[in-house]
Amino acid sequence: MITRQDPMYQVVTDHPQLLPLFPRFNLKLGFGEKRVEEVCEHHHVNTDFFLEIANAYLDDLYIPGEGLSLFSLTTVVNYITSTHNYYTEFALPGVEEKIHTLLDHSSLSENEIALVRGFFNDYKKDFLAHISQEEQDILPYILELERQSALERPEPEFIQKLKSYSIREFEKEHERLETSLKYLSALIIKYLPPFENLQLCYLVLNDLAALVKDLVDHADMEDKVLVPRVADLEEKLLNTSFPA
Amino acid sequence: MKKAGFILVIDSYLVRKGLVSILNRIPGIAVLQEFHNSESLASYLLKHSVDFIIISQSLFEASADLFIRDPALLEKTVLLKDGRPGGKKRGDSGSQAHSSIHMSEEKEKIEGKIQELLNLGGLKNGGLDSVELSPRETTIVRLVSMGLTNRQIADNLFLSAHTVMTHRKNISSKLGIKSVSGLTVYAIVNNIITIEEVTSLPA
Repeated sequence: MITRQDPMYQVVTDHPQLLPLFPRFNLKLGFGEKRVEEVCEHHHVNTDFFLEIANAYLDDLYIPGEGLSLFSLTTVVNYITSTHNYYTEFALPGVEEKIHTLLDHSSLSENEIALVRGFFNDYKKDFLAHISQEEQDILPYILELERQSALERPEPEFIQKLKSYSIREFEKEHERLETSLKYLSALIIKYLPPFENLQLCYLVLNDLAALVKDLVDHADMEDKVLVPRVADLEEKLLNTSFPA
Repeated sequence: MKKAGFILVIDSYLVRKGLVSILNRIPGIAVLQEFHNSESLASYLLKHSVDFIIISQSLFEASADLFIRDPALLEKTVLLKDGRPGGKKRGDSGSQAHSSIHMSEEKEKIEGKIQELLNLGGLKNGGLDSVELSPRETTIVRLVSMGLTNRQIADNLFLSAHTVMTHRKNISSKLGIKSVSGLTVYAIVNNIITIEEVTSLPA
């Protein structure tokens, strides 16, 4: 368990798996002797929020809930957006490049190569569509909801919209992005002829496993923290606008 | 064969570690997680699939609600009792559990009981996922993986194109996979089709 008093360098040394989180908070290395809370303050990051996310990331049994409800929806939405950026600009292109290199130098048949490439390309398309739908529709809606509920008199147009839409609809349609990546790993481990470049293959499998874990945590946070809180707020807003 | 996944919910560190060391020597077993109390048990079970739970008497009693709510869980539960076998006491709670181990029992006896559990369990040698497709849906996934169009599938199975479309929609929403390439890899990984069948098709 990481605390605000821990030296940041110690945190990273003990838990290098936390590194993918750092760009999301815009935290740069070169910590010196600074403690977690000093590093966060220096980079204008909410320390409690960082700790909550980092500890959740380390604990497989962690179910997000109480801890994260202390933060504004804006904080949570910003974190989700920067996690999306991490996926689209770093994680996904990273593994994609490795997969292509692996295939380029493999002795797989043309059809086998086409199978993997086709699979990854389709996956990437679905992935990007999923994320852009969230960023264009869902996240702006949540921010607007938070803004409206802070107003003394929420705008009637927004209340009207609320009557016909709820975040629960989004939850129903919310697809799990990690499943296909597990299939891809299984395909490589079990079914394709072995790759000669075991080292690179190992990196690909490692990347896939890390991304799967990250996506599971991310979806859990959206479904278990974000959606219930947004649903609460929707209800509250509807009730105060139409007192029974 | 798929390993049987065990979790241990035992308050005593020494007892827990002792049991882990016994379990780790039996082939076909994976100890997935150890708990020293039952606090995060419910949330763990929501997220992970488990074949057997070995739980100490006191923690079983402390989390009785969980087991009452889910009878399927009881089926998987092995109770770790403090006393000697046979000695009934304290209202014999948890007698509904699948089986039990007694703290005083010898290693061989415990191993025997675990082995019995594995044999009875008859764990299915399933694919990667627990989502169940119907036999008809499985056939359709297979045909899609072989590169057939919806029209061709309809002709093949004497169905209307509309029915095939409905099946395809249901498959996609069950699996969360829409693309043909996605379904193909799903089919390979779940042993619905072999990779040779897929890759030997003309491109």
